[in-house]
Amino acid sequence: MAEPILEVSGLVKHYPLTRGVLFKKQIGAVKAVDGVDFTLAQGETLGIVGESGCGKSTVARLLCGLERPTAGTITFKGEDITRLSGKALKAVRRNIQMVFQDPYTSLNPRMTVGDIIGEPYDIHPEAAPKGDRRRRVQELLDVVGLDPEYINRYPHQFSGGQRQRIGIARGLALRPEIIVADEPVSALDVSIQAQVVNLLARLQTEFDLSYLFIAHDLSIVRHISDRVAVMYLGRIVETGRDSEIYDHPTHPYTQALLSAVPVPDPDAREHRERIILTGDVPSPADIPSGCRFRTRCWKAQERCVVEVPALAVPAAFRDAAGPAAHPSACHFAEEKQVVPPEESRLNGNGPG
Amino acid sequence: MLLDARDLHVEFHTRDGIAHAVNGVGYAVDAGQTLAVLGESGSGKSVTAQAVMGILDTPPGRITQGRILFRGRDLLTLKGEERRRIRGTEMAMIFQDALSALNPVMTVGDQLGEMFVVHRGMSRKDARARAVELMERVRIPAAAQRVRDYPHQFSGGMRQRIMIAMALALEPALIIADEPTTALDVTVQAQVMDLLADLQREYRMGLILITHDLGVVADVADRIAVMYAGRIVETAPVHDLYKAPAHPYTRGLLDSIPRLDHKGRQLYAIKGLPPNLTHIPPGCSFHPRCPMARDVCRTDEPPLYEVSETRGSACHFWRECLDG
Ligand SMILES: Nc1ncnc2c1ncn2[C@@H]1O[C@H](COP(=O)(O)OP(=O)(O)OP(=O)(O)O)[C@@H](O)[C@H]1O
Ligand SMILES: Nc1ncnc2c1ncn2[C@@H]1O[C@H](COP(=O)(O)OP(=O)(O)OP(=O)(O)O)[C@@H](O)[C@H]1O
Ligand code: SF4
Ligand SMILES: [Mg+2]
Ligand SMILES: [Mg+2]
Repeated sequence: MAEPILEVSGLVKHYPLTRGVLFKKQIGAVKAVDGVDFTLAQGETLGIVGESGCGKSTVARLLCGLERPTAGTITFKGEDITRLSGKALKAVRRNIQMVFQDPYTSLNPRMTVGDIIGEPYDIHPEAAPKGDRRRRVQELLDVVGLDPEYINRYPHQFSGGQRQRIGIARGLALRPEIIVADEPVSALDVSIQAQVVNLLARLQTEFDLSYLFIAHDLSIVRHISDRVAVMYLGRIVETGRDSEIYDHPTHPYTQALLSAVPVPDPDAREHRERIILTGDVPSPADIPSGCRFRTRCWKAQERCVVEVPALAVPAAFRDAAGPAAHPSACHFAEEKQVVPPEESRLNGNGPG
Repeated sequence: MLLDARDLHVEFHTRDGIAHAVNGVGYAVDAGQTLAVLGESGSGKSVTAQAVMGILDTPPGRITQGRILFRGRDLLTLKGEERRRIRGTEMAMIFQDALSALNPVMTVGDQLGEMFVVHRGMSRKDARARAVELMERVRIPAAAQRVRDYPHQFSGGMRQRIMIAMALALEPALIIADEPTTALDVTVQAQVMDLLADLQREYRMGLILITHDLGVVADVADRIAVMYAGRIVETAPVHDLYKAPAHPYTRGLLDSIPRLDHKGRQLYAIKGLPPNLTHIPPGCSFHPRCPMARDVCRTDEPPLYEVSETRGSACHFWRECLDG
């Protein structure tokens, strides 16, 4: 693999829980991100999946410097950006840009599209001389498939899919090397979702971008990612290449998650085994001891209560070179196929 | 037939003109059957359901045409009081957002119990006991204690199950579930859909499931009706539709979803956007986005052609589409 462009190590973000008005006393912490490690290679897409509240957006905000981590390092091209401040930080931030989930609320309704896309140039004037901005913005509109004539329109004059393109154009304005996309297509209808996913794929090749793609839709993540990390309660519990995770998952949580995804094939109904998890996700302010998944895990034993499983290739697979030999944080990791391979009936190329 | 809606038309008077939200929708569901209604945002799924339930906002909405036969009687001709009685006891609705559908200042036990007090004339004490039973039925742990809790004290998945309990309380013949799991995580969605399917089988209810998720449809439905711009463009038994769609819109939707079982090539993307409902294109409303469109599509509105005894497609060229 190529030299990583981004390396995240021991990343932690705890939000203090306080009581009292005058004399704030810390009574605990919401452990939103609780020890996350991963790398991202140049031109690669790393997908992050996990259920609501597992810390995906917090990771995204930390990477883009919108918040400071409680602990850990974020190394961009060999430099730990969590230690930077002022000018140096600003310069690095140019290279890591974010695209947000909600195309309806992430754009300021009182700004024109031109102002929205050009806003990053106000913060980084060195990126585009004043006289050149309009042309740059029109170019960006064109790149994301919108009419450059739309430059003076307001967000409400666009559909959801078009607004998401505006958000992507803004993300591209500073020519970043990394795009952190936080659920960029979750709010869109399937037909529009496909348009935006294809656009992101095209831009990646065109500009040699590296993506951190966050979503809770496992099918989209597989489609777009080279590697995938599955998060649960603030930690990555399993990570590997897309086929290692989807076709050879070894962590019980990944298996349950994959088995719960409804697949668009009525014939699969009969031969699919569903793993229905009982109970709810515990609060990140009160994380279970040992393995954090144990309260919902059907395999949990005494050992899971007392010993934290490390994210590493499980001993059982260490000597084999097969697809099951990828990091999985489970004491009883076992391979289990939960996504039945189907014939590629739906993989046509559209009507007509 | 338990429910048979025919040629329904609904319009809204808006600032920009008349929005034709529902334009001749017909669908039917029998006891013990699940009909999935699928379509993109704004295609008229919820408005049709609101018309059937009798909870449409009028004004601005107006039903201009159609019949809604429920157990043989046309609901649109019934008096207000009779309509309310049917809505309260014989049909029920489950919404996407349980938090706003439940009363925030009343305990869930009181809300569930009230159904039995009002409609079955039960005592408070008996009603409370039934509420606990129902909560156990929808697998709320420690129901006897939690019956005194308020909606905000439950997780999203539990609230959705409580709303299911509420809909089931009086054992209605028909349930309309409008995106019941859209706001939930997949593992919780699986819990909730599992429960809904079990209960539906047990009580032999008719279920109309509104969704935009082709995966959910494939998992639970017997029949499917695909909506586009306020019309049903294709209706079929689920197996037939997934095997060979007879409408280019359905085909486009199936081709545009990424797969879980392998990494696909580029996704097929239906070009363009759904129409503005105040200016629906003439002819086939899908023609500006359709890769198969020809002249006749721009002028003549396709009727719902009979593809087989159990299937229909509103495309002039359904035969070609079916053949791939
Ligand atoms: N500023 C904050 N103060 C306190 N708690 C926070 C804050 N931001 C996030 N959290 C908590 O941290 C946890 C992780 O939140 P985060 O938004 O990262 O989750 P997520 O995985 O993005 O979820 P979703 O899929 O719902 O977007 C949640 O429990 C959330 O409530
Ligand atoms: N109270 C209302 N006033 C004006 N227009 C309305 C009203 N309710 C619905 N509409 C319009 O009717 C059309 C159909 O809406 P409907 O809610 O049925 O769509 P839907 O298929 O349920 O979409 P979604 O998937 O987003 O829920 C929309 O264009 C909507 O704007
Ligand atoms: S470590 Fe134990 S509790 Fe955790 S996932 Fe594995 S078996 Fe389940
Ligand atoms: Mg998030
Ligand atoms: Mg709706």
